[in-house]
Amino acid sequence: MNGPIRAALGAVIFAGLVAAAASVAAAHHGFAVFDTSSQKTITGTVREFEWTNPHTWVWLDVPNDKGGVDTWGFEGMSPNFLGRRGWTRKSLQPGDKITVTYFGMKDGSKGGAFLSCKRPSGEQLTMWGGSPTDDN
Amino acid sequence: MIVSCKALRAVVIASLALSALASGSVAQSFKRPAPTAADWAALAKLPDFNGVWEVRMGGPPSGTVNPSQIINPAVGVPSMRPTQLALTPEYEAKRKVLMAHAEQDNQSANCLPPGMPGIMAQPYPMEFLLTPGQVTIVIEAYSQVRHIYTDGRPLPNDPDPNFFGTSIGHWEGDTLVVESVGFSTQTEIEPHVPHSEKMRILEKFRLTDPDTMSIETTVTDPEALAAPYVTNRTLKRHRSWTIAEYICEQNNRNFVDASGKAGVNLTVPGAPSPAPKQ
Repeated sequence: MNGPIRAALGAVIFAGLVAAAASVAAAHHGFAVFDTSSQKTITGTVREFEWTNPHTWVWLDVPNDKGGVDTWGFEGMSPNFLGRRGWTRKSLQPGDKITVTYFGMKDGSKGGAFLSCKRPSGEQLTMWGGSPTDDN
Repeated sequence: MIVSCKALRAVVIASLALSALASGSVAQSFKRPAPTAADWAALAKLPDFNGVWEVRMGGPPSGTVNPSQIINPAVGVPSMRPTQLALTPEYEAKRKVLMAHAEQDNQSANCLPPGMPGIMAQPYPMEFLLTPGQVTIVIEAYSQVRHIYTDGRPLPNDPDPNFFGTSIGHWEGDTLVVESVGFSTQTEIEPHVPHSEKMRILEKFRLTDPDTMSIETTVTDPEALAAPYVTNRTLKRHRSWTIAEYICEQNNRNFVDASGKAGVNLTVPGAPSPAPKQ
C-alpha cells in the first residue's frame, strides 16, 4: 500500500474537527446502535471488504470458543470519504489478518463501528478522520 | 367605450403573468432567454467558483481515536456558530419531544437525505457550476442537486414546500447572495430541531483566498426561531477531485423502523470463507 498510510506506520492518521462553538445532539444515524462509551479490539481474518455506499463493511472471521468461526461485521465510512484519505477497495483483502478497534453493538451482536485496524506488521489503518490526503 | 383588441390582449397577458407569479410554480412561467455570447463571456468576470469543493474537517493528527472527534455523516460537520440556536417556546417544546426519541435514529438511516441547511454540511464534496443565469451545486452526499437562479426571476411568494427550497441568487461584488424559501416541515434545521414552513435561509458565498470559500448561512423562522441562527463554514477546492457516485441504497444496512427503533443488518454477505494467509 502506498502513500500516507504506509508513511504513517505505527501512527494513527486522524484529524480532529473544525472547532464548534456549540455541541451537536448526540444520537445519530447508525451510531444509535453502537456503544460509543468504550473502544474494543478483536483479532481475526478478513472475509470480505465491501467497498459500498453508504458505508463500507469489514467482515471478519473470528475463531470462537466452540472450535468454529464467527463472522463479525464492522460498519465503516463511505468509500467516497475513504478513497480521498488513503484507502482503496483493495486496502483490506480476504485472508488479511487484522486486529480491529471498534465501538461494539449495544445489543451485544457480533459487529460494531470500525475505527481502525492494525496488521501483524504494525501498519495501522484508520477510518474516522477529517483531512483529505491531497490538498488541491 | 370600445377597447381595442390589442389593448385587451395586453391586459389578458399581463393578468395571466401576474397570476403565474402569485402561484407556487414561478419556475414554470419564467422563461429564461437563450444565453448570448456576451452572457457566456460575462461568466469569466464572476468570482472563480467553478470546481469541486469540500467542507474543511481537518486538524492535526492525534494519537488516539477520540470519539468526540468522529465525524458522523448523518449529523454533518459541525460549523462555527456565531449565534446560538434560539427556538421559540412552541418549537423548543417540539424539539424536546423529538429529543425524547433521540436515542433511536433519524431518517438518514433509511437513506432520506437531510434538507437545507444540513445538506450543505455533509462530509462529502460539492461541485459548483456557473452557467448563464444559474449556479448549480452538485452535492455528492445522497446525489443531490441545488439550483440557484441568478437570472433575475423573483422569489416565489407561494412556493411548494420541499427539501431544499427555491433559491434565488444575485451577485453583490464578489459575494453570491442567495435567498431560499419554501421548506417542507419534513426536514430539520439541525438534527431534532424542527422548523415551520415559513423558514427562510440566506446564504453568502465568497472566496477568501484562491481556493477557499466561506459560506455564511442565516436561518430565520418567525414561528420556530426567536433570533436568526447564523452558521459559518469553510470549503476548500480540490482541483484533482471529481464528484463520485453515491447511491445510498447500494448496500444500506442501517434502518429505522416505523416505531423509531434503529437497527443494523449484520447478515453476512454470502461467500465461502477464504483460508487465512500464511
